Amino acid sequence: MADKKVSKKDIAKLLKEWSQQFAVLAPSKESGVAAFAEWDGKDTGFLDWYRNTVIPPKASFLPPMEEMFRFRKGKEGYNIEPPPNDENKRLIFGIRPCDARAMSILDMTFKQALEDPYYLSKRKNAVLVGLGCTNPYESCFCTSMGTGPTESADVDIMLIDIGDDFLIEEVTDKGKELIAKTKDLKEAAKDDGAKAEQAKKTAYDKVTRKLDTEGIKDKLLASFDDEEYWEKVAAKCISCGICTLLCPTCYCFDINDEMVKQEGTRFRSWDSCGFPNYTKMPMENPRQEKWRRVRQKVCHKYEFYPMTYDVIACTGCGRCIRLCPVNWDITQVIESVPDKTGAKK
Amino acid sequence: MEQKLRQEAKALLEQNKVDWIIGFEPGSLKFTATPLITRDKNDTERLIINPFMVNNLADFLTGIEGRVGIVAKGCDSRSIVSLIQDNKLIRENVVILAVPCPGLIDLAKIERLVGKDRDELDDITREGDKVVVTVDGKKKEFSTTQTLFDHCLACELPTPQEYDILLGEPRPPAPELEVSGQNIAELKETPPAERWEFWKNEFSRCIRCYACRNACPACFCQRCFVEETEPQWVMPVPRWQDNLIFQIVRNIHVAGRCTDCGECERVCPVNIPLRSLAREMYSIVDELFQFKSGMDKEALPLMAHYEQEEAEDLFR
Repeated sequence: MADKKVSKKDIAKLLKEWSQQFAVLAPSKESGVAAFAEWDGKDTGFLDWYRNTVIPPKASFLPPMEEMFRFRKGKEGYNIEPPPNDENKRLIFGIRPCDARAMSILDMTFKQALEDPYYLSKRKNAVLVGLGCTNPYESCFCTSMGTGPTESADVDIMLIDIGDDFLIEEVTDKGKELIAKTKDLKEAAKDDGAKAEQAKKTAYDKVTRKLDTEGIKDKLLASFDDEEYWEKVAAKCISCGICTLLCPTCYCFDINDEMVKQEGTRFRSWDSCGFPNYTKMPMENPRQEKWRRVRQKVCHKYEFYPMTYDVIACTGCGRCIRLCPVNWDITQVIESVPDKTGAKK
Repeated sequence: MEQKLRQEAKALLEQNKVDWIIGFEPGSLKFTATPLITRDKNDTERLIINPFMVNNLADFLTGIEGRVGIVAKGCDSRSIVSLIQDNKLIRENVVILAVPCPGLIDLAKIERLVGKDRDELDDITREGDKVVVTVDGKKKEFSTTQTLFDHCLACELPTPQEYDILLGEPRPPAPELEVSGQNIAELKETPPAERWEFWKNEFSRCIRCYACRNACPACFCQRCFVEETEPQWVMPVPRWQDNLIFQIVRNIHVAGRCTDCGECERVCPVNIPLRSLAREMYSIVDELFQFKSGMDKEALPLMAHYEQEEAEDLFR
């Protein structure tokens, strides 16, 4: 198979072409914060500033807020009007491998556990075009989490920076099909493959934060009741929702109705297990103390998710570390979990 | 100063004068300090003082039981005093370890000045009234006016007035109100319709993480109005109108308590200029009532008391 490549200065042309059949989403700061937004048809400035977005790409599939249905009180009860399925063909251009991995993890929840039509309708027609990292953050630890800065496993098409061009890796059938139909791509030169290998190695070496997750599921299980440990870990947490809402794998949502007179709307919106009123029952919140909520967050990602899906629900994107108001660092927490697995046996 | 702090903090725990020490230890990222909350005297060895200790530690006081020895910059001390004014904290239960603060370095400003992210910088040091940033091995000098947080430039109390142990030489206040209030002044000059559009845009990206509320020492309600369901004052969904109402009501609730510590804006992950609202409310409170929160622990809380002569007809 002859590899293709695209020149960096032709990215606008490429995105224009793809815009014919897709809603192209690309990194943008237009809203005031780095996020994936509908590409404006010209700007490729993100190629210079983009390391990763603050708002994870999950927002395009599980938006911060979405309408589930409208309802009207009639004579015979309620009439329910669901919105039409959002089956827009989205192309996420420039998704990072950590965030693409996170999409695969979200798929498990929304596809395997239960089919969620809101998520799946958006997801099924989406194409993920990955962009390999050249400048990971100091908070990134993807190489410890089953992915890496140029890993292509979770995207349809992967672009690797080889200087003036991106070398194109066609990963899935969906990706191959799109590349086959795309005009004006260049044939890769003989030494481009070697250049890409070198770029991958350089990027990999730049991810310096490491996390040893060996046996973490069992360690957490054995330390679940270690209140003293969890209280210590939770002490500086202020119970805001940054680390969870902006986590690319966190999917919890809240459901609320808004009703005026006889009509209303049911919304779902991002929720966080860090919030004191999360899972508030008719009685009370079973996780009133902060340490129980912090424990829930850590264990959900590193213990419960592996128990259900055999995968840790953390991809090392580092957002929770970068954005935390108190510098609560998940890698330090995971490394400090006491090993009580021997004692249990 | 650090050595003295460690000795004092250790002694407080050893002599059983406090149950907890709250201070800062080195953070896990470049140019960060992170809150250290401990009852272990050995941990006091890790206490530090540097220009990156950005958190307002008073925020932790309402969530902790027992006597606390707390490291306090001027702004933290004002929040502590404000909590005492509101009867949320008993003076005898805190030992204030006062740090005269030369102002904290705003990494977002540095990033804009040098065009690089914080983790791409080699070093940032404070040298007198200059801040020296080393990028790619080259040194660049900036003034404190360019590099300190806006709320630090507006600081009226770098050295705590209320304290038990003073670490280092007191620093006199030298507020640079014009620079620190520049964006607020510009906003106030824009026509209302335009300003409305501005805030609509800003609040459109709020994700309701409540970091602004949770980092705010003055936001001490055990149950916030946004979590009330009967009646439901505001929808808990991140719709811009609801986001705006949330923030406006929050600002009204902390009027007379807010000390302009700037935490609301610093912690916002989506860059909403929240200090513009907080500072404007601070100025309005000062103008209307000649009241500055957290300056005098004997002063009655502005919004939690009234005197007969100031009462409106409704109350007479």
